Amino acid sequence: MPYPMQLGFQDATSPIMEELMYFHDHTLMIVFLISSLVLYVLILMLTTKLTHTSTMDAQEVETIWTILPAIILVLIALPSLRILYMMDEIFNPYLTVKAMGHQWYWSYEYTDYEDLSFDSYMVPTQDLNPGQLRLLEVDNRVVLPMELPIRMLISSEDVLHAWTVPSLGLKADAVPGRLNQATLTSTRPGVYFGQCSEICGSNHSFMPIVLEMSTLKYFENWSHMMQT
Amino acid sequence: TRAVASIFSRPEAWSLAAEPFKLLGILDVQNVPCARHSILYGSLGSVIAALGHFLFTSRVRRSCDVAVGVFILGTLGCWFPCRYNYAKQRIQQRIVQEGIKNKILFESTHLDPERKQIGTKSDNS
Repeated sequence: MPYPMQLGFQDATSPIMEELMYFHDHTLMIVFLISSLVLYVLILMLTTKLTHTSTMDAQEVETIWTILPAIILVLIALPSLRILYMMDEIFNPYLTVKAMGHQWYWSYEYTDYEDLSFDSYMVPTQDLNPGQLRLLEVDNRVVLPMELPIRMLISSEDVLHAWTVPSLGLKADAVPGRLNQATLTSTRPGVYFGQCSEICGSNHSFMPIVLEMSTLKYFENWSHMMQT
Repeated sequence: TRAVASIFSRPEAWSLAAEPFKLLGILDVQNVPCARHSILYGSLGSVIAALGHFLFTSRVRRSCDVAVGVFILGTLGCWFPCRYNYAKQRIQQRIVQEGIKNKILFESTHLDPERKQIGTKSDNS
């Protein structure tokens, strides 16, 4: 879960986010080594009294520092493209949920079996219970079954928004007049938070997303309770 | 209990990871798989190569260049095979996990994976 002064990713909840974290580690190692090399060259440059003012060309080093970055970029691009295509793989979702962005709340529609729709507003700070998270809690959470692929269809009723859940590695723009699809598979139960990620007006920071991943039985009981 | 309480009073401990130690402020060698192993082998290789170069040539600056070069190549040389093997292990772990789940869920039903395999073998024989 998120914690104050956090710099890194939240723990991964979906296989895609796990892959994204591994890719991040891979790229970070390459970045670390390049930074070490640059730091070393910087120190060398700054700690010498030698100068050479008549350099005309440097063919060998020019060749090296053209080919080597190209190789590095290929080494970064291959896993990147692998994950990109993995995110768009064809799957059979068990459930489809529509998330509609409004100014400034989200509304969700579960229309596969019966008509269930509700709005999800942020809980104001003065109405929070002890232990609840400021600017992240909502009145109606999105309850979903875990370990099942779920299709999210994301759109907007007014301006651009973005539906984000960092621990699932999900971010999709909510564009008025357009449906964006995202796949959601949670490997474990829990409550996962996200915030609107596209500037949409004065309360852009105050329209969070909360997913509650639970067992199928709990999800069925919840949807039945929400309808009555 | 006091030690446990003190560990869990820090926010970064909430994800049950080791205390992060970041090289150059960016690379968390404690929690990134293969990072500690690669950096250690790279450092060891660079120290040995630089010392050896200096012993043979007595050139300090060139030995430092050799140290940096061997560190980069050694780290990458350990990193890529380790990550490749780690990814293979991860895939195998997922297959095994899925197999165990299917076995438990579908035991004694027509979807039992073992029943399908036995059926195939008796068809072949």
